[in-house]
Amino acid sequence: MDDTLANLVHGFGIALQPHNFLFSLVGVLIGNLIGVLPGMGIMATISILLPLTFGMPPVAAILMLAGIYYGAQYGGAICSILLNLPCHPSHAVTCLDGYPMTRQGRGGVALGITMLAAFFGAAFGIVQMILFAPFLVQIAFKFGPAEICTLMLLGLLAGATLARGSALKGVAMTLVGIVLGSVGSDLDTGTSRFTFGSMSLYNGIDLVAVALGFFGIAEFLKSINTITVGDLSGVKVRMRDMRPSRADLREAAMPILRGTLVGSLCSLIPGTGPTIASFIAYAAEKRVSRNPDKFGRGAIGGVASPEASTHSSVQGDFVPTMSLGIPGDAVMALILGALIIQGITPGPQLMNEHPDMFWGLIASFWIGNILLVLLNVPLIGVWVKLLRIPFRFLYPCALFFICVGVYSTNNEMAGVIQTLVIGVVGYGLMRLGFHPAPVLLGFVLGPRLEENFRRALMLSRGDLATFVDSPISATFVGLAVVLVGAQIYLARKARVPKDPAKDTAKDPDLAVAGRRAVVLEES
Amino acid sequence: MHRRLCLGVLASLALAGPARAAYPDRIIRIVVPFPPGGTTDILARLVADRLDKCFGQHAIIDNRPGASGNIGTKAVAGAAPDGYTLVMATVNTHGINAAVFKSLPYDPVRDFAPVTVVASTPNVLLVNPASGIADLAGLIRLAREKPGALAFGSTSTGGSPHMSGELLKVMAGIDMTHVPYRGGGPMLNDLIAGHIRIGFDNLPSAIGHVRAGTLRALAVTTAERFPTLPDVPTMAEAGVPGFDVPAWFGLLAPAGTPRPVVDLLHSRIAAVLAEPETRARLLELGAVPGGMSPDAFGETVRREVARWPAVVARTGVQVE
Repeated sequence: MDDTLANLVHGFGIALQPHNFLFSLVGVLIGNLIGVLPGMGIMATISILLPLTFGMPPVAAILMLAGIYYGAQYGGAICSILLNLPCHPSHAVTCLDGYPMTRQGRGGVALGITMLAAFFGAAFGIVQMILFAPFLVQIAFKFGPAEICTLMLLGLLAGATLARGSALKGVAMTLVGIVLGSVGSDLDTGTSRFTFGSMSLYNGIDLVAVALGFFGIAEFLKSINTITVGDLSGVKVRMRDMRPSRADLREAAMPILRGTLVGSLCSLIPGTGPTIASFIAYAAEKRVSRNPDKFGRGAIGGVASPEASTHSSVQGDFVPTMSLGIPGDAVMALILGALIIQGITPGPQLMNEHPDMFWGLIASFWIGNILLVLLNVPLIGVWVKLLRIPFRFLYPCALFFICVGVYSTNNEMAGVIQTLVIGVVGYGLMRLGFHPAPVLLGFVLGPRLEENFRRALMLSRGDLATFVDSPISATFVGLAVVLVGAQIYLARKARVPKDPAKDTAKDPDLAVAGRRAVVLEES
Repeated sequence: MHRRLCLGVLASLALAGPARAAYPDRIIRIVVPFPPGGTTDILARLVADRLDKCFGQHAIIDNRPGASGNIGTKAVAGAAPDGYTLVMATVNTHGINAAVFKSLPYDPVRDFAPVTVVASTPNVLLVNPASGIADLAGLIRLAREKPGALAFGSTSTGGSPHMSGELLKVMAGIDMTHVPYRGGGPMLNDLIAGHIRIGFDNLPSAIGHVRAGTLRALAVTTAERFPTLPDVPTMAEAGVPGFDVPAWFGLLAPAGTPRPVVDLLHSRIAAVLAEPETRARLLELGAVPGGMSPDAFGETVRREVARWPAVVARTGVQVE
C-alpha cells in the first residue's frame, strides 16, 4: 500500500512535468473536440496524430494518446443528449433518455448529470487500476468463451425491451439488429453472409454507420417534416437549469454506482468495450429501477447509468492493456502500437520495466479527468445554446460532419452510403413505431454471442453442458431463465384486470414528475 | 553513424543520375490494407518515419482495412504506376489469399511491381505454461492419442498463423480443431487464461509474453531460429523437418512503375533498414529486417502464391 502511494506520488511527479502536462492537456482537448464531432472516430484521430508522437518521449506520447481516448468520451454525450445524434456508438444509448430530457427543457441537467457520472465512473476506473489491477486481471481470466456467450445472452434478453413501446416491436428490432450484425464474412469459415458480392460489406456493416444512421440521420429526416412545429430553438435555457437539483442528484446516485460497476466489469472482458458496457448498464438499470416506465421519457437513471458505465469502462480498458500488454479493443491496440514504435514492447512486464510510464499515465488520468470536468462544466451552457441554432443550419452542418466522420473510419465511401441507407430505413421504421435502440443492441451483442457460442462449443467438442459448468456462466444462464420467466409471468398478469394497489404505488412518482414539469415551465 | 550512412547513400544517389531528380517531388502514400496498430501498420510507419528523417522523403500511411487486406491491396493495384502509391503487403495479400479466396480482385503477381521486403517474422507456436505440453513432440503425441480433441487458436481464418497450424496438421499427420479469434489480442488472452491450450500467432504480438514467461513458445515456424529468442527451436528442429512459414511484410508498387523509380525506392528503404537503430528496433519487436532486391522479392511473391493452393486443398480451408 505504501509502495502504491509512493508510486502514485512519483507518477504525479512525472505527469506534472511541464511537457507531459502539456501533452496531456493537448490530448484531452483534441479528444473532447472530436468527441463532439459526430462519427469522427478516435481511431482515425489517433492514427492521424501517431506520426507526431514519434519525435516525442514515450511518456508524453502515451499521455497524449490516452488523453484523446478518454477525452473523447466526455464530448460524446453532448450531441446524444441535445440532438439525439450519437457522435460515438458508446453514447447511443444515452439518446434514449437524454434527448427526451432536452425536449422537456432539461438538457442542461442531463449534461450536468452526465459530467458527474463521467467523473465518478472514470475515478472508479482509475482507483481500481491503482489498487486491484492484478486481482482484476485474474477475474478477467475467468471469462472464457462460455461466460462471455452467456453474458451476451443475458444482455440481449434484458435489453430486448430496452425502448419504450410495444415489447413485440422491441424484440423484432433486436432480431433485425442481430441479422444486420451477421452481415459480412463468417469468422470461422470465411463464408460471406448477406454481402451480395460487395467487398465493402465483407467486413460487415460499420457500427458507426448503424448508430449514426438509425439515430442521427433518421432523426434528421423526422425533423424535416416537423421543422416548423417542433423547433427547439425556442426552448429557454438558463444557467439555473443546468444545475441538477438535489432531487436529481439523489435520483442519479444509485444508477451512477451501478453503471460504474457494470462498466468496470465489461472493461475486463476482452472485446467488450464501452459500447456494450453502456447498453448492458442501461438494460440493467431499467430492470432494477423502481419506475421502469419512466425510461425513454427522460429518466435521469437512463442517462446517468450508461454514461458512468462508458467512462468506467474506458478507464478500465487500460487495466488489461497496461498490466498484460493485451489490448482490450482496437483503440488500445493502436496505443500499444504507438508504444512499440517508441521501442517499448508491450507485455506483462510493462509495469515493472517502465514504472515511469505506468504511474505517470495513471497520474495523468486524474489530471486529465479533472481538466475535462473543469473544461466541460462551464461549457455546458455554450453547448445548450447549440439548440438556438435553427435546424436549417444545424442539421446540414451535422450531416456534413457525419459524412466526414463515417468516411474516416475506413477511408471508404461505402461507409457513408451505408449510413444514408440505414438512416432512410430507420426513418421508415420510426414512422411505423419501431424504436431503433434495440437494433443497435442486437447489432452489438449478437455477433459476440454467436462468436463465443461457437467458440465455446468448439472447445467443449459440442458439449452444451459447457454453458453451465462454470459458476459464472451458470449464474448468467440462471438469470436469463428468471428474466424470461418473469416476463411471461408479468405478461400473463397484465391480461388480468389491473391491480389497484400497483397503480397507487406508481402515482407518487408520476406526481413528482408532473410537479417538476410545472416548476420548470414557471421558471 | 546512421546519419553518415544516409548521407552516403544520398550522395551515391545524387551521383547516380540527374535524370531521376524529378522523382520523388511529392508525398508518397503507403496504403496499409490493415487497421492501424497492427504489425503491418507499425512496420509501415517505422519505415515512413525513417524515410522522412533520412531522406526528407515524406510518406503518409493510408489505412484501408477490410477483407483480409484485399480492399487496400486492390486500391493500389489500380493506382497510377508513378511510384507515389505503394502497398504494405503481407504473406496474406500476396500469397495465402490467392489460395484461400475463391476470387481475388487483383493478381498478386501481374498487378504489382515488388520493391522490397521490409521485415519478416516467424509465426510462433504457443502453449499455456500450465498446459502440461513441454515441447512439440509432446504436443504431437497428445494429438495422436486423441485426434481432434486438441484445439489451437489463431488470429483469423485464413491468416498466416492459421495456415501454420494447418500445415503442421498436414506435415505431422495429426488432427486438431481450429478455433479462430478476432486478432491476436483476444486469442492471447484466452491462451494465458487457459481457456485454450495451444495457439499460433505472429511473433511480434506474442514476444512480450514469451520473454515474460506467461506463455511458452514451443517453436518458431521459420527455417531459422529467431535471433533474440535463441532458446526457441524451429519447427524443423523440434520434429517437423522441412517446415518453413515466414510471415513477411513488404512494399509493392503498381505494375508498370518505371524500374528506376522502383530501384530508387528500394535503395532508400534498404538504407533505412540497414541503420543499426532501425535493425535493433525491428529485432526487439520480433521481426528480422529485410531489404532484399526487387527481383528477389518478386521471386518470393511467386513462390508464396504457388505454394499455398496445395496446403489449402489438403485442409479444405476456403473463403468466398
